[in-house]
Amino acid sequence: MGTLFEPFTDVVPSFFGWLNQGPLTLTIFLHTVIILPMFWIYFQEKKKLNK
Amino acid sequence: MANENRSVWTSISFWRRSAAWVTGFAVILLIWLTFDTLGQISMGTDADLKNKVTKRVPAPTVINYHIDYKYNAKRGHEVPVIGDKQPFFGKEWSEEEAAKLLHLGKLTSQAKNCMDCHTLLGNGAYYAPDLTKAWLDPAWQNGGPLQGMTGKNTVEEAMAEFLQHPSQYPTHARMMPNLGITAEEAKGLVAFLKHMSSIDTNGFPRNFSQAAKREQGGTYAH
Amino acid sequence: MLTSIKTNEFAGSESKKLAMMYFRVAIVLFGAQLLMGLIAAIQFLAPGFLFEVFDFSVARMVHINALVVWMLYAMIGSVYYMLPDETGIETVNIGVGKLAFWVLTAAVTVVVLVYIFIQVGSGTEATIWLINEGREYLEAPRWADIGIVVVVLTFYWNVFATYMKGQKTGIMTVMVANLMALAGLYLAGMFFTDNISMDQYWWWWVIHLWVEATWEVFVGTLAAYALIKIIDAKREIVEMWLWIEVLMLFGSGILGLGHHYFWIGTPEYWWEIGALFSALEPVPLVAMFVHVLYDWGKEQGIAKAEGKPGSVMKNGPAMAWIVTNAFGNFLGAGIWGFFHTLPQVNIYTHGTQFTAAHGHLAFFGAYATILIGMMYMGIQGAYGIERLKATFRSKMAIFLITFGVVGMTVALTIAGYEQVLVERADLGGGWEAFFTAQNLPWYIQAQVWRTIMGVVTFVGFIYLVWDLLTIGKQAKAAQSA
Repeated sequence: MGTLFEPFTDVVPSFFGWLNQGPLTLTIFLHTVIILPMFWIYFQEKKKLNK
Repeated sequence: MANENRSVWTSISFWRRSAAWVTGFAVILLIWLTFDTLGQISMGTDADLKNKVTKRVPAPTVINYHIDYKYNAKRGHEVPVIGDKQPFFGKEWSEEEAAKLLHLGKLTSQAKNCMDCHTLLGNGAYYAPDLTKAWLDPAWQNGGPLQGMTGKNTVEEAMAEFLQHPSQYPTHARMMPNLGITAEEAKGLVAFLKHMSSIDTNGFPRNFSQAAKREQGGTYAH
Repeated sequence: MLTSIKTNEFAGSESKKLAMMYFRVAIVLFGAQLLMGLIAAIQFLAPGFLFEVFDFSVARMVHINALVVWMLYAMIGSVYYMLPDETGIETVNIGVGKLAFWVLTAAVTVVVLVYIFIQVGSGTEATIWLINEGREYLEAPRWADIGIVVVVLTFYWNVFATYMKGQKTGIMTVMVANLMALAGLYLAGMFFTDNISMDQYWWWWVIHLWVEATWEVFVGTLAAYALIKIIDAKREIVEMWLWIEVLMLFGSGILGLGHHYFWIGTPEYWWEIGALFSALEPVPLVAMFVHVLYDWGKEQGIAKAEGKPGSVMKNGPAMAWIVTNAFGNFLGAGIWGFFHTLPQVNIYTHGTQFTAAHGHLAFFGAYATILIGMMYMGIQGAYGIERLKATFRSKMAIFLITFGVVGMTVALTIAGYEQVLVERADLGGGWEAFFTAQNLPWYIQAQVWRTIMGVVTFVGFIYLVWDLLTIGKQAKAAQSA
C-alpha cells in the first residue's frame, strides 16, 4: 500500500496497479491506446476515398 | 481525384470500422482487467490471516478475529484492520465451520432479500441503513443503543437476537419486518456481516469511524 | 391497442402482430411497476402501511422487476415490429416466436405470484432456485433465469435467421450484434458465490453493461429506424450517426463499468478507469439528442423548400416520445449520471437517494420514452393510419408522465443531497447517522413530493393507456371519413 505517487499503490501489485502511478496515468494510457489506432483507420479510409 | 471533396468524417465505413475497433478493444481490456481484479478479490486463506497477509477479501475465518476500521494516512482513507483473536458466539470456528457458516449467511441474505431494503457495499435499496460496516457500527457495540435493547453482551449475540425478532425491537418508526429468520440463519447472517466489514472497500463509507469517536465523546480531529 | 389485435391491417405480417402482443403485456407490467412504486413511496411516509403483509422489500422488488421485464417485453416487441421493414421479409419462424411469448408470459406470471405471495424463503439453495435470488434487479429465481435464457435464445435465433435471409441494413447489423451481447450478458448474473465482492463484480456486468451499454445502443437503433419511418430521414445519414453512437456508447460505456467498482472490494485502479470513461458517457447522449432534432429540422426544412405544407411527421405522438427520449436520455442518464460518477463525489453519494433519483430519470428518459414511442408506431401500423396525430389524451399522457418523473427525480435528488451532507459527510454513516438524516424535515418533505409526483405519473399513465386503446380507432374513423 502506498500513496498515489508510488508504484503498486494498492493492496496487491499488478500491471494495472503499476500503471496507476499518478493523477490519471492509467486512464489516460487506456484512452490513448484505444484512440490512437483510429488515426490509422482514418488515413486508410482517406486513401480509399481518394482512389 | 474525383472524390477530392468527400470527407472521411462523413464516411460510414470509417465510423463502422472505428466502432468495431473501439468496442472490440474495450472488451479485451475489460476482460484483462477482470482477470486482474478477480485475482485480487478472491477470498484469502486461513494461512493469510495467521501470517498477517492483507487481503482485500479475507478468508471466512476472519470471524475469529477482532476487526477495526482505522484511518490510514498513506492511503488517505479508512481501512479494515484485522487484530487479535476474538471468540465469535463464544468459540473459535475452524476453517470448515467458518466457511459453512458464511455460506449459510450469504444464502440467507439473498433468500430474505436484504438488498431490497438495505444496501450491501452501498448497493441495494435505500429504505434501511447500509450494512457494509454494520458489524463495526457503534450502535451495536457495548453500551450502544442496539446492543442494550436486546439485553445481550456481545455484538454477535445482539445482532442475532434482533434478526430473529426484529419487530420486537422497534428501532425506528420504520421497523424491520419479521422474516422468519431461524437461530442458525441469524448466526450465519452475523458471520456474513462480520466478514463483509473486513473487506477493503477503499474507504467506503468515508468517515465511518468518526461516528464511533463521537459516541465516545471525542472530537472530529484525528 | 387491444382491438387492434383483431382488426389489424398488418397485411400478412405476423411479426408485427406478435410485436403488438409483446407491447400489450409491456403496458400492463408498466402499470404494475407504477403501483408498486406508489406502495413503496407511501411506506417511506407511513412505515406501518402493509407492514409484515406486503413489506417495502416486496413492493420494491416487484417495482424494479416489473420495470426490467416490461422494458424487455417492449424491446422484443420493437424488434419483431421493425424486423419485416428492415429485412424486407417476414420473420422466419413466427410459430416459435409466439410459443416463446406464451412461455415467457406464463413464467413471468408465476414469478410475480411467488414474489407477491411467498415473498421470502429459508436460507437454502432451494430458495435461490424457486422463490427469489435476492440480488437487486436479478431477483428472478434460477429456474426462471434458465427459462429466460431459453426464450431469449429462440428470439435471438429468429432475429438472426431473418437477418441472414433478408436484406442486411446497417441498422439490423447493429441490432443483431448488440442483441447477442445483451442476451449473453445475462449469463454473468446466474451463479451463486459466498464472496459478496465477487457477487457484485459480476452483478454489475449484467446491470451496467445492459443499461449503460447494450440497451443504449438498442435505443440508438430504434431511434434510427423510427426517424426513417416517421420523418423520412435519409438512411445513409441515420446509419452513419448510428455507427458514431455505437463507437461512443461502447467506447465510454464498456470501461465506464469501472464506476461501479470503486467501493465493492475491488482495486483502487478502478477509480481512474471508472471516472474518466464514465465521465464521457454523456457525450454520445448529446450526439443522439442533436441528431434527432437536427434530422427533424432538416427534413421539415426540405419539405418547406419543396412547398409541401404541414408537418413532415407521420406519427405525432411517437415523435413526441422520441424527442422526449433524446432529451430525457441526455438529462437522466447523462447529467444525473455525471453528477455522481467521479469517485471523489461518489464516496459520499454511493448508497443514497441520489442513485434513486438518477435511476428514475435515466430509466424513464432513456428507455420508457422511446419504447412508448414504439407502441404508438405499432398502433399506426395496426390501423393502417397514414398520419397519426396526437390527441388531447396523448398530450396529457406525455405531459403528466414526464412532469411526474422529473418531479420525482428532483425530490429524490434533494433527499439524496440531504443524505450526502448530513448522514455521510457530517455524521460518517452508520445506523444512527442514517436515521438522523431520514428524520430531518428536508428529507421527509422530499419524500412527500416524491409521492405526489408519483401520483401525477400514475394519472399520466391512465391517460396513456386510454389513449393507446382509443387513438387508433379514432384516427381510422377520421381517415375513412
